[in-house]
Amino acid sequence: MLKGHLDGLLLAALEAGPLHGYAVMEALRTASGGRVDLPTGTVYPALHRLERAGLIRSSWSSEGGRRRRSYQLTAAGRRALAGERSSWREFSTTVSALLEGRPWPNPA
Amino acid sequence: MAEPGLTGCQPSPRAQQLIDAYLAELSGRLAGDAAARAAIVAELEDGLWAATTAHQARGLPSEEAARAAVAEFGDPRAVAVGFGPELAAATGRRVGLGLLATGPLVGTSWLLLVATTWRWPGREPPAALGLVAALVGLVLAVAIPAAALSVVLSGRPSRWLPAGPRSAATTAATAAGACVAGDLVLLAALLASTVFAGGVAWPAALLAAGASSLRLSLAARAARRCLAARARLP
Repeated sequence: MLKGHLDGLLLAALEAGPLHGYAVMEALRTASGGRVDLPTGTVYPALHRLERAGLIRSSWSSEGGRRRRSYQLTAAGRRALAGERSSWREFSTTVSALLEGRPWPNPA
Repeated sequence: MAEPGLTGCQPSPRAQQLIDAYLAELSGRLAGDAAARAAIVAELEDGLWAATTAHQARGLPSEEAARAAVAEFGDPRAVAVGFGPELAAATGRRVGLGLLATGPLVGTSWLLLVATTWRWPGREPPAALGLVAALVGLVLAVAIPAAALSVVLSGRPSRWLPAGPRSAATTAATAAGACVAGDLVLLAALLASTVFAGGVAWPAALLAAGASSLRLSLAARAARRCLAARARLP
């Protein structure tokens, strides 16, 4: 289930500011109380894919004598994040209505 | 959230060995463009040390922290598989851009050779030159669109193309293969002209032969890299 929302989760993790790959993994773990613990082989390649798609951009810096690659949202990434949030709200509202037997909420 | 820092962390030699061994295994399993592979290894090295520092901050000694970091990053084979599409796309893109950038230089060197060899009245180009031109035209008709397509497929449009990385590597390998074929045709034509057509203008011939030989060697290697990167895709 998370797979379909991986991009949104990564974009949300980067919304507050630039982070490197491991910090993104930590941010997701911390924000989810440890429930979202994505593997390295998923997070790092996904960050590269998002950069290729123009949703984030990376920059290299030096940290403790090592090269560090940090990622930040682009304007297209912020728009994509807003789209992901909107899709998720609609999806979760639909599933909640179905699972809990509630009527579909009518717009006021 | 504050990023895990590396300052204040003095890794033990054993911790360094654990991380170096992990990175060596990962590096050996990555296929594709060398610069892209080096960037991935450098990025994960920083990630491993950041994880080690985080585990040390939770009270683990250096070696145990590095061991925990390596365990946290998981099987290098799985990580390498995860990077497969990105490496295929990066390799396809670099090869496509490289061929598009160098193609005009190689072409210009051959046009210079033709212009300097057959510039005098009475020195007519051999009839076989038309066949060579037709073959080279065919090569260009394949190589240029394939190289351009590899750049497109590995860029932003790939967001909507799940098969983008595989296609980028395939089209780049096709473009590189076509360039190899084109260079072989040109070099064979140069040899034939030298032997059967009364010689050529040597300074320009050396330039053209050098450019094509270099491009042939690089393009052959690039094609192999693209195919290797494509072969590692899940």
